[in-house]
Amino acid sequence: MNTQLTLALRYLRGHKTRTILTTLSIVLGVMLLFGMNGMLPAIKESFSQGVKTSISLDELTVTRLANGIFGQEQVALVRNVPGVVAATGSLSRKVILPTDMAPQDQRGQLITNLTLTGLDLDSFGEINPLSLLAGRSLQPGDRAVALINQSLAENSGLGIGDHLTLPTADGVTRLEIVGIVAGFGALSGGEPLYLPLDLAQQVLNLPAQINVIEAMVAPSEDMAIVGQRVLESLGSGYQLGAVETGSEIQAVLELGDFIFSMFGIVALVMSGFIIFITFRTVVMERRRDVGMLRALGASRRTVTGIFLFESLLQGVIGTFLGLIAGYLFISWMLAVLEPMWRERLGLSLGGAQFSLGIFILSITLGVGISVLAGLYPAVVAGRMTPMDALRPAISVERKGSTRRRAIWGIVMIAASILCLLSRNVGLASLGVILFIAGLMVLLPLLVRPVTRLIGGLLTLAFAREGNIAQGNLVRQPERAAITASVIAISLAVVLGVTGLLTTLTYGVFSYMDKSLGADFLFIPSSFALGSGNVAAGPGLISAIRQVPGVEAATTLRSSFARFGETDVMVIGVDPQTYPQVSGLEFSRGDEQLAYQAMAQGNVVLANGMLATQGKLELGDDIELLTPAGMRTYTLQGIGNDYMNSKIMTLYVSQDLLAKDFFETGDVLLMLNLADNADPVTVRADLDRLEAEYPGFTLYAAQEWKDRMVQDARTRMSITYLLVAVLALPSLIGLANTLGINVLERTREIGILRAVGATRRQVQRIIMAESLLLAAIGIAFGILAGLWLGYVMTASMALVGYDLAYFFPWSGILLAVAVGLLIAVLAALHPARQASKLQIITALQYE
Amino acid sequence: MSIVMIDKLTKIYGHGETAITALREISLHIEPGELVAVMGPSGCGKSTLLHLIGGLDRPTSGRVLLDGQDLAALDDNHLTEIRRRKVGFVFQFFNLIPVLTALENAALPLMLDGIKPAEAKQRAQEWLERVGLVDRLEHRPDQLSGGQQQRVAMARALSTEPALILADEPTGNLDSRAGDEIANLLRQISDQWEQTILMVTHDPRIAAYADRIVFLKDGTIVDEAHLSGDVSRSTAGVMERMEGL
Repeated sequence: MNTQLTLALRYLRGHKTRTILTTLSIVLGVMLLFGMNGMLPAIKESFSQGVKTSISLDELTVTRLANGIFGQEQVALVRNVPGVVAATGSLSRKVILPTDMAPQDQRGQLITNLTLTGLDLDSFGEINPLSLLAGRSLQPGDRAVALINQSLAENSGLGIGDHLTLPTADGVTRLEIVGIVAGFGALSGGEPLYLPLDLAQQVLNLPAQINVIEAMVAPSEDMAIVGQRVLESLGSGYQLGAVETGSEIQAVLELGDFIFSMFGIVALVMSGFIIFITFRTVVMERRRDVGMLRALGASRRTVTGIFLFESLLQGVIGTFLGLIAGYLFISWMLAVLEPMWRERLGLSLGGAQFSLGIFILSITLGVGISVLAGLYPAVVAGRMTPMDALRPAISVERKGSTRRRAIWGIVMIAASILCLLSRNVGLASLGVILFIAGLMVLLPLLVRPVTRLIGGLLTLAFAREGNIAQGNLVRQPERAAITASVIAISLAVVLGVTGLLTTLTYGVFSYMDKSLGADFLFIPSSFALGSGNVAAGPGLISAIRQVPGVEAATTLRSSFARFGETDVMVIGVDPQTYPQVSGLEFSRGDEQLAYQAMAQGNVVLANGMLATQGKLELGDDIELLTPAGMRTYTLQGIGNDYMNSKIMTLYVSQDLLAKDFFETGDVLLMLNLADNADPVTVRADLDRLEAEYPGFTLYAAQEWKDRMVQDARTRMSITYLLVAVLALPSLIGLANTLGINVLERTREIGILRAVGATRRQVQRIIMAESLLLAAIGIAFGILAGLWLGYVMTASMALVGYDLAYFFPWSGILLAVAVGLLIAVLAALHPARQASKLQIITALQYE
Repeated sequence: MSIVMIDKLTKIYGHGETAITALREISLHIEPGELVAVMGPSGCGKSTLLHLIGGLDRPTSGRVLLDGQDLAALDDNHLTEIRRRKVGFVFQFFNLIPVLTALENAALPLMLDGIKPAEAKQRAQEWLERVGLVDRLEHRPDQLSGGQQQRVAMARALSTEPALILADEPTGNLDSRAGDEIANLLRQISDQWEQTILMVTHDPRIAAYADRIVFLKDGTIVDEAHLSGDVSRSTAGVMERMEGL
């Protein structure tokens, strides 16, 4: 083992460039897998900074499912339950402060997240007397006063007698801080702010509503039994325990988690492939060494062990560096995203978090794939007899195996086409794998005809060397095919992902054109409509309607409901004005009839994601747990709006939202101008309204769309960077193949030089060969990439994005450019190596 | 007892019409401490004979007994063990591991045999000193001349103190001066340390260092010559016999 390890280490050190490049491919894979999975918990955590109330041993906490609110009269029911000695109701919601209202911490960062808790001043002291550090507590009769906790006071420097301004449904309210209580808020925001219940209800536009009941149980009573009685007294839809928010966003993040994990795994599989090719190359290169070792008495196992140790060492080092790189990369990404996150969503991101599971997964995959990839070449090396290894390698094409290969390849490609035609995403995905596998099986047979086909073009640029390069490829079709496969797979991934991104971007922008088709928009603090926005009361929309030049205006309202086991967003629209100003991008159902039905009864529309995941059909009855209890609605249409396309969402009329969800506040306002209106004058009037409602920002629709497009482009460029990283392994693969070609043909190169080929001509032969290989790879990579992109787009329909496939012209150009660049870069070193060979040495080489 | 006993050894490559008979029912004995050279024109089966005796390849028929063991009866694992412990190879192109130092190359067979690295290196160093490379222990092959590389290969072959050293054109890749030095070293190994050596060469001057020369032609032994020890005189004789083949 010692000898194997020593040899493995020495070989790795002896080929530093190759070792670095191969290890780099593992580093990249692990970095993506590990890093991305470390970032998503931070994002999830950020969304989870909602309302969370503590549960203590002698207290019961009662909340409503689906983050719901309920009437404060329910507290009386709980008080009457035998065993309950006291009960109080409170309204606790996260609020995102507009930047000009948010206090600053000592580092100058804005504290935008507050958890507003309205306390019933008559009863909260019996249950949850706050531990006062300074000033006084809240007292019956208090109005515009608040208590802050110790950490907010320390961080912001706010003290007794200072004031805090909050956005409200009617504009703003100014609170005087009268006391500081013990306790610390969450690391990433959500500092508690206690105020009288009626004031909280006014701020949040939820008159007479609460969302938490806390009850004190008599010490002699069994908590579980009393809890059960409490639930029975309240009816269905309640739970014991704290309110959890953001489950609908969590579902989206889990999808993101999955996509990023797939990205990492694809990168790792690619690195596995590259290790396989590298080791295959290495085994060929070291035939003589293997032969000599076997002649000296090294057993098959010893030889296999040397190669396995090499792949293991690379796997371990690559994984270790990948973990570090992943941590650094994600810490950097989080630092870059933090300001944007704060500004757009009003949330702060914590640091990267890595679970034990992701450590284990990354290490297992990083090391495992490396070792697995090295296994086959290692076994092949071990199987060589000393004589095989000491003789020169001869490639023999066997007729039987050619026929078998052709049959297998054609069967796989045919099966992949059937999979695609099935329109089942699972089968279509299998189809992509089958197509690529079939291509790899067939490619050695296609090398000759394709080389001849493309070779004609090549001889235009490489008149003298093109034919020699073609001959070299045709002589080693297996090796040429493997290299071309690496390029093809890399480019397929590049093209597939760019195809999907193009489709997604244009598709989501088409939702935006339709659903935000208004001339002006009042956008709330957070783009996630249900997350911490302070809704506006009826004053804002009526003021907008009175602005001269405004032809029509409409609003969106938001709430949550529980559908089965999932929380879904419920958006309230005005069926009359919403289609005039904006509207959903309908994928199913008649638009006009749907809005009419909404206006008349218990009708809902669903977005694509909910319809797909809930397997909903038009006309289905949907049972929802609402703040008013279980309700049944009929599905009349399926469509998407831009803001909520990524979250499972239902659309109901605002009347229904008020009746069953008790929500009447507007979270997004849109308006259209009359044809003859002067936009500048209207804008000036709207600006004044914006100043009165600082919880909203006014945008001209085009201005906002431009901003969204710009954001999307920034995000896309990061993704393109990741995609480019995936193309890197093919560079290593091609360089390896060309390197070994040069080595194997040392004597031939010597002969070429001896009979008069110049150094430059030798270089050009290698370059021409590289371009030929790349051209084959590009041709098949584009085919596979288009397929992959189509399947990826089709699978988005599974999660509710029913998008038309956009042909990725730019992706094809990118793939061709990347492929050719890879060809030139990969050929540089081997070409120089070949041209530098001394004729005598080359001729003596065996 | 002879170190090598070959009985009616035949080796045929390929099948049917394309079959080539490399060796045809050859019988040969090599005694302990003997330095035997095999000579003959290209394609006469010299290297094939060496490969079969060294257990690198298997005969089509006939037997090879190496130190009393019938190689044909051994499976791959046992054959590997025989190569490791009883045979030392010296190749025309040295075949050193390029990423190891001279000392590590020479110690390699011992380490492959499970001997602790420190002891293996100690023994390898002694052999490197004997072949005159005491000041090149930490040099890698690319830092050594051809003659020096071949000395490392010889130290490697000697390090396990095998029953037989097989040298395939050991001077074929060296200039005449370095070739003479290696031939002298082979002679010295045979005389001083009583190592049995079978050497394939096509160079009469190198063959003249041997105790005995076996002449091969078309896969059969056509002649044998016992030499006096006077290299110059022997060379002329060998050349004459070669011309007669």
